[in-house]
Amino acid sequence: MDPDAVAKAFVEHYYTTFDANRAGLANLYQESSMLTFEGQKIQGSQNIVAKLTSLPFQQCQHSITTVDCQPSGPAGGMLVFVSGNLQLAGEQHALKFSQMFHLMPTPQGSFYVLNDIFRLNYA
Amino acid sequence: MEEQVELVGRAFVDHFYHLFDNDRSSLSSLYQPTSMLTFEGQKIQGVDEISTKLNQLPFDQCQHVISTIDSQPSSFTGGIMVFVSGSLQLAGEEHSLRFSQMFHLIPTPQGSYFVQNDIFRLNYG
Repeated sequence: MDPDAVAKAFVEHYYTTFDANRAGLANLYQESSMLTFEGQKIQGSQNIVAKLTSLPFQQCQHSITTVDCQPSGPAGGMLVFVSGNLQLAGEQHALKFSQMFHLMPTPQGSFYVLNDIFRLNYA
Repeated sequence: MEEQVELVGRAFVDHFYHLFDNDRSSLSSLYQPTSMLTFEGQKIQGVDEISTKLNQLPFDQCQHVISTIDSQPSSFTGGIMVFVSGSLQLAGEEHSLRFSQMFHLIPTPQGSYFVQNDIFRLNYG
């Protein structure tokens, strides 16, 4: 499958899950996964999902502006670099954000997130 | 105390943008034939092509000011992911541009790092 198509499909799946059922993100991470969220470092699927489900908002909607991807090396990994907007329920203005994912292939033919770094982009 | 990957990330970022702002043609020393750059959506591969692209950007002088640097180990072979956000001031322009950039650094046998992956995006307000 074309790498750009894989990246786009992953991004759609990730943010749709985030916006509808944040706990459902658990199967995209493994024990070795690392998230840096606004500078805070978290490791492992359980801890990452605990962080994401405890963010101080109930409802949100991500809208994606750009998706760039590149293969990361001989192990079949893929780097995905996203920018977009995050609208929180009840807030007048959307927040702008950038996020990078390093996806690694699973034996089942899917991908999991090994590295995840999220930053808000302040004006 | 800062972890090793954070130290490497910070040192690399300082070096990269110092070269970019003062001696752009020397950036070629940080890339190898397998290196990939995606610059505002345009995909470029290899030292010469990347160097040409960066040297041909439509401004002579610029200054990067870095706001955030996040680093993580990328895999089990010593690679490092570095995620940067900051501002880019072009000479003669009133307002600076905001940008985000990610680097995937791979260790060299000489104990340094080269840029295997580089993705740059401006962040429009």
